Amino acid sequence: MPAEGSLPASPRPGEPLLVLAGVTKRFPGVLALDHVDLDVRAGELHVLFGENGAGKSTLINVIAGTFPPSGGSFRFGGEEIVDLTPNKARAIGISPVFQEFSLVPSLTVEENLFLGRETSSAGILDSGAMRRRARELIGELGFDLDPKARVDRLSRAHQQMAEIAKALLGNVRLLILDEPTASLTERETGRLFELIARLKSQGIGIIYVSHRMREIRALADRVTVLRDGRHIKTLDAATVTDAELVELMTGRRIDVLFPTITHRPGAVAVAVENLSTADNQVAGVDLVARAGEITGIAGLVGCGKSELVRAIYGIEPIAGGSVSIRGEAVAAPDPRSSLRRGVAYFPADRGAEGLALTRPIRENVSMTALDLARFQRRGVIRRGAERRIVGPIMETLKLRPPNIERAVRNLSGGNRQKVMLGRAMARDLDIFLFDEPSVGIDVGAKVEVYEFIKRLVEGGAAVIVVSSELPEVLALSNRLYVMHHGRIAALLEGEAMTEQNVLASFFQEETREKAA
Amino acid sequence: MSDAPLAAAPKTAAEAPRQAERRGLAVEWLRQLALPAVLLVLLAGFGAADDRVLTGYNLLNIAQQASYLALFAMAQMVVILTRGFDLSLGPTVSMVSVAAALTMAGVGGTGGSLVPAVILGIIAGLALACACGVFNGVVVALLGVSPLVATLGSMNVAIGIATTISGGRPVQGVPAPFSEIFYSGSVFGISSAIVIACAVGLVLHLVLNRTVFGRSLYIIGTNPGAAAVAGVPVRRLLVAAYILCSALAGLGALMMTARTGSGEPNLGGTLSLQSIAAAVVGGTSLAGGRGGVVTAVLGALFITILSNGMNLTGVDGYVQMIVLGAIVILGVVIDRLSLEAR
Repeated sequence: MPAEGSLPASPRPGEPLLVLAGVTKRFPGVLALDHVDLDVRAGELHVLFGENGAGKSTLINVIAGTFPPSGGSFRFGGEEIVDLTPNKARAIGISPVFQEFSLVPSLTVEENLFLGRETSSAGILDSGAMRRRARELIGELGFDLDPKARVDRLSRAHQQMAEIAKALLGNVRLLILDEPTASLTERETGRLFELIARLKSQGIGIIYVSHRMREIRALADRVTVLRDGRHIKTLDAATVTDAELVELMTGRRIDVLFPTITHRPGAVAVAVENLSTADNQVAGVDLVARAGEITGIAGLVGCGKSELVRAIYGIEPIAGGSVSIRGEAVAAPDPRSSLRRGVAYFPADRGAEGLALTRPIRENVSMTALDLARFQRRGVIRRGAERRIVGPIMETLKLRPPNIERAVRNLSGGNRQKVMLGRAMARDLDIFLFDEPSVGIDVGAKVEVYEFIKRLVEGGAAVIVVSSELPEVLALSNRLYVMHHGRIAALLEGEAMTEQNVLASFFQEETREKAA
Repeated sequence: MSDAPLAAAPKTAAEAPRQAERRGLAVEWLRQLALPAVLLVLLAGFGAADDRVLTGYNLLNIAQQASYLALFAMAQMVVILTRGFDLSLGPTVSMVSVAAALTMAGVGGTGGSLVPAVILGIIAGLALACACGVFNGVVVALLGVSPLVATLGSMNVAIGIATTISGGRPVQGVPAPFSEIFYSGSVFGISSAIVIACAVGLVLHLVLNRTVFGRSLYIIGTNPGAAAVAGVPVRRLLVAAYILCSALAGLGALMMTARTGSGEPNLGGTLSLQSIAAAVVGGTSLAGGRGGVVTAVLGALFITILSNGMNLTGVDGYVQMIVLGAIVILGVVIDRLSLEAR
């Protein structure tokens, strides 16, 4: 990025930009980092790889000055760094982009970019200059982002772009990106990758946290694997295999990520005709999902695929068209009646829509089934029965430790997803709508989720999987719908289900829309 | 950040969550035991300062006084659990008091029969209270207005109604049997206010902990989005919570009317704030989902003991207001800090 001021002298040739040696971080009762070594060279993209809780976020927070290390040495640009604060880190050119956004929702994009470093003359804000600089920067980044838009009116993808733009404003020597593509579309991801290549050629070092193998393949120079707060190995990205990385990360062998699923399509379970939602995110969709098969829905962020399943379940208001469950038309579905019909929805955002974090596992599992006689009699909860039902469910799902009275907030991401899956077993259900089932969970937990879905389908259930991860929907689905701008762009089956065909159908739809 | 070596520092990060959990449990226990401990210290302190404090008579007096506030704090706690609160609680009390007294005076009148008058008075008072609850619940849950604005509005409506129907003057003619039931009567020597508050507390505790309704209130307060997706009828239950809150306030209003012996158009006075204060000081979280009958009762006892002690030791009334205000803010700050600690 063009720097505003001149850069301080480059590090001595040969010495990497950032050198951490034996960095330890102890929280009361927790050893989050245990003598971790890391070096990042100028112009290098260095991937941090590890399961949730491996210490990746602690490490990047230490590097960004959010909290001081408890021990070890920290050299940046050839100098020993002590007492780092977030402001100092920015001043010497360390710029982090965290998953938790640092934007102020009620301000515009440009106001956010300059927050705390406003350009002013004689105490009066020079908004003209700031606006020009913001436009310039966003233009350079190639982002489709309006600098005057208020942040709370932006989609998550656009907020992510604003966050990246904010990090790149000013003098940057080391950029930290924490799962930056989690909410970007394929096209925006492409732009980001181009940008990363340009930054590298300017000698900026990049620390990149990601779970996605494809990105690691496309971008990484070196990969450092962390596990349980310890440095496991640093590898050359060109020579390492995926299997090797996963094995180092989990400490065990995972041979196949996606299970082989036998689909036996039966009766139509869900039929959607000409469906439109009130917010117009879904505009005239026809879709059929059968029992005994996985129906996939692929599409870019914001294409309406999530809204489609939410409308079927009854949390997105329907404006037109019809939904039938097992041949019976449902006028206005709502969550409770959907559950009674045997339809379950697993939200993408488990924090906001899934779990009651301070409540015990037991209550979180029985939550969707409290209307059933097995859990209550005349409104009084049968607590003994509840324990007798939920306990074995969580045992089948291999909850460790198997204590169902713990509060959900004390659980890891993978165990939290197990609590969600437990709900599927707390009542009789046979239609399952999964919205981004593997978002935010590590590889080991992903495998367990896929195995669970496999058991559902092979037991005769109808499963719809909505996912932005193409490899995931391609591997799981028997038939794959591709959505674009609220419509079905294609239905792919059998041999036709390839990444090329999915991408091609986005493209065709785009051209058709332009022609029309 | 202290770097002092921890005696029980775990070897790996994998053990860490369980350590943190155990520490969290310990903090939770401290929180639970802190208030009862402070209560005892307060009593001992006031007792040392003035020997009238720790007499049997005064302790019963404290219990009697606290039972009213405990009832209102419980009412308030029910809606605070759902991330709401009810600013109209005090005026509802005034309105119910006036309406019940007017009904009883009207029906009982001169030479009228007293029993139907008392029954009709109770029914009128509680029905009016429930109507308030329905109003608040519908505005908050169905129309999506924030509890602050909704109950601020109904607060003014209730003040207006109470003043208009009473003409701004106390309503006389509350029959003796009514006072007998709600005030001067006693069971095994314990005055009826204490008996009623204890009974209500017991039933409410069971409702919150053993029924689908109670469980659902906690889930709604903890994560309303998750509750909706899980098929919990969020809006219906919110309306029910506001009705329950107002109904309990109505019961408290009948008890206070029996105590004063007349329908008072400003009986509720500062009760809205006092009840919120008691609930919050006791440990009910304004962020929703945390609290219960115990927290409400402890909070009410705390505030009552504090004002009783300050009265007996001759602390100036205005200074007492400052102390109470500071304590409420302290309670909210502690709540915030404990939320951040997780």
